[in-house]
Amino acid sequence: MDLSRRRFLQAAVLTAAAAGATAACGGGSASSGAKDSKNLSLWYWSGGLSDKVVGDAKKHFSGISLKTSVVGGDFKTKLLTGLRAAQSAPDITGIKGEDIASFLPNADRFVDLKTVGADKLVPQYLSWKLKQATTQDGKLIGFPIDIGPCATFYREDLFAQAGLPTDPTEVSAQLATWDDYFRAGVELHKAVPKTFLVNNIGSVFTMVVGQGTQRFIDEDGRFIGDQDHIRTAWTTAVKPYTLGIDAKINDNTWNAAVSGGTLGTEIGAAWHALDISNAAPGTKGKWRVASLPGGPSNLGGSFLAVPATSGNPEEAFKIISWILGPENQARGFTDAALFPTAPAAYKLPALTGGDAFFGGQKTIEIFGPAAEKIPTAYEAPADAAVSAPFYSELTSIEAKGKDPDEAWKDAVAQAKQIAQRQGVK
Amino acid sequence: MSSSPVAGPAPTGPTSGTGTGATGRHAPDRPHGPGRRAPRIRPVSAGARRGPRRRVARYWPQYLAISPYYVIFTVFMLFPVLYTVFLAFQKWDGIGDMHFVGFQQFRFLWDDPVFWLSVRNTLVIWVLSTVPMLFMALVLAVLVNSTKRLTAFYRVALFIPSITSLVAVAIFFGAVFSNNFGLINAILRALHLSAVPWMSNEWTIKLVISALMTWQWTGYNAIIYLAGLQAIPSELYEAARMDGAGPVRIFRSITIPLLRPIILFTVVISTVTGLQSFTEPQVLFGSEAATNPNSGGPGQAGLTTLLYFYHQAFDNNDFGYGAAIVWAFFLLILLIVVINWRLVQRKERRS
Repeated sequence: MDLSRRRFLQAAVLTAAAAGATAACGGGSASSGAKDSKNLSLWYWSGGLSDKVVGDAKKHFSGISLKTSVVGGDFKTKLLTGLRAAQSAPDITGIKGEDIASFLPNADRFVDLKTVGADKLVPQYLSWKLKQATTQDGKLIGFPIDIGPCATFYREDLFAQAGLPTDPTEVSAQLATWDDYFRAGVELHKAVPKTFLVNNIGSVFTMVVGQGTQRFIDEDGRFIGDQDHIRTAWTTAVKPYTLGIDAKINDNTWNAAVSGGTLGTEIGAAWHALDISNAAPGTKGKWRVASLPGGPSNLGGSFLAVPATSGNPEEAFKIISWILGPENQARGFTDAALFPTAPAAYKLPALTGGDAFFGGQKTIEIFGPAAEKIPTAYEAPADAAVSAPFYSELTSIEAKGKDPDEAWKDAVAQAKQIAQRQGVK
Repeated sequence: MSSSPVAGPAPTGPTSGTGTGATGRHAPDRPHGPGRRAPRIRPVSAGARRGPRRRVARYWPQYLAISPYYVIFTVFMLFPVLYTVFLAFQKWDGIGDMHFVGFQQFRFLWDDPVFWLSVRNTLVIWVLSTVPMLFMALVLAVLVNSTKRLTAFYRVALFIPSITSLVAVAIFFGAVFSNNFGLINAILRALHLSAVPWMSNEWTIKLVISALMTWQWTGYNAIIYLAGLQAIPSELYEAARMDGAGPVRIFRSITIPLLRPIILFTVVISTVTGLQSFTEPQVLFGSEAATNPNSGGPGQAGLTTLLYFYHQAFDNNDFGYGAAIVWAFFLLILLIVVINWRLVQRKERRS
């Protein structure tokens, strides 16, 4: 029994150590001479930048040795750990769109890019996207890699079967509001019974919240997730569920659902096109893109930042602005489906060409105008944390048939509690 | 030397002492405390101060040889563990300043319905996996023990699941139990039965996670039981058969009592590992999602406590709260282990 007790103690200790040990593991993955101004390191994740553009950047900046690390796993956690010491921190790093807000309170860990040349470039980039990386006192900590302007992806063939409009312009015009969209969904489901309109109601909620100018917390740090704009988003999201046009997919069966025709439409960001074409190569040519019902919305889109410990912030920003110049952004769109943040790129051939997966449709005609009209909303550092219960409760409606009003009450109660824990008023 | 600094006050008693090796192994009825402890403790008090120090000096190569483990343990285990104690009383987002908040994180924890939901989920999944797992393991071990042919093959076959990558297994189970396109539902449909929404019902989600854990660890426990079974002298079985005992009687009166220490071991280990289920729900229910990752699937039915801890610490950057969650959960595991220990031991005393 000695063995069992020792093992028990170890295992118990392991449980409690999970936090510290996980954090400790992240540090060793990269070494960089942070104080060295000639050797710069760049961290990004697979697919976060165009590998070809990054490769060319190494050649273009011949005076600098640029060492790139494609960091796998939980990127934010590794970056948090890396930032703790100058030796382990990168000189340039990617920050994912969903994480940027949580880095803003620690803006002093990053170089204000306006002090190293970004101020001149700012007008060429989408202002609403730059605002996501700007602190309330005006520091810019990240330069935008890409955005995720949202649209409706729909199956033209299934729409034709249901007698719905099939031309993207007509679809955009006739499915202009969420109610129009749901009505079309009912017809679609009636004509093709195995086909549903939306994959889950959480995706609708995401879109509607993104269409607003306010999120879950306001600029004064007050919780506003119980107010009308969120309640409206919630009510809108629940509609497809009550209408029976929700496929309720919350697991890994999404791929099969897309390829099998279970989903007649997908609402998602420009980069979602890649998900669809990867999941359902057999449906090539059957999909089209139309404007999102209810107006433009954004989902995701990352940044490049320069940690304060960087050995050469000026040169680091030169590299960033080169990688994210309009021409290279257009290449990034071709290579990695990164939708450009500089509107100048929207006129380049890489974006204006037709997309064979969408039957040759010039998708920029939908995404381009949407990208420039996305509403500016303040996203608080705790926004993602506070919004989580709403998504969980929406899945409870789908999974357990929980009463939507009760689910709303629970979501608000939990969100308030998280807000309190996160220091939101 | 045991890792007692943290778990030292565990009221699991003096039964196992601080001995490291084969002490007490030979005594099947394992006398409690005093009898065994006395001769080992004596020299320390008698031999004055210099005793232990001289021993360290004399045996330094041996101490040096075992030191890497303890150094690594201290740096990567002990320090982080103690650090989480400190963290549980702070509010910290990972890189900014820490603020001391006293017991506030634990007050939040007490009022947090999601934490209690995660504890309930964890306990249900644990019971649903551990009970059938240990039962089947015992049956398998007895079966393998009674065969004479292909024993090596059976042993390897039993062990393979436990060395299979957990992530791969979870993805595989996710595909097998998939609502619309899974193997199980395809079979059910072929038999003209209605398909079960395995991955969206709050109970079937727990069943799938439990099935995964059962599949993975049954063989491992069976191997341990098998080792225990083979240590039982065959004379006992022969004698029992001479006395006219049937297989069931033999199993109940000889196998089970003599296997009891092994059963206790597997119960404790399964409790500790079973309550730590984390990867299974994390892989099964989209950890990659940008919105609301690691939420434990539909209705949060697969949200185990460790997954919740991970979500709070690493998705929400609330490291203080995360630390509070794991410490509260540690105490819970400790409590359950103690209960298990007492239960199994009482039976032992009675027999």
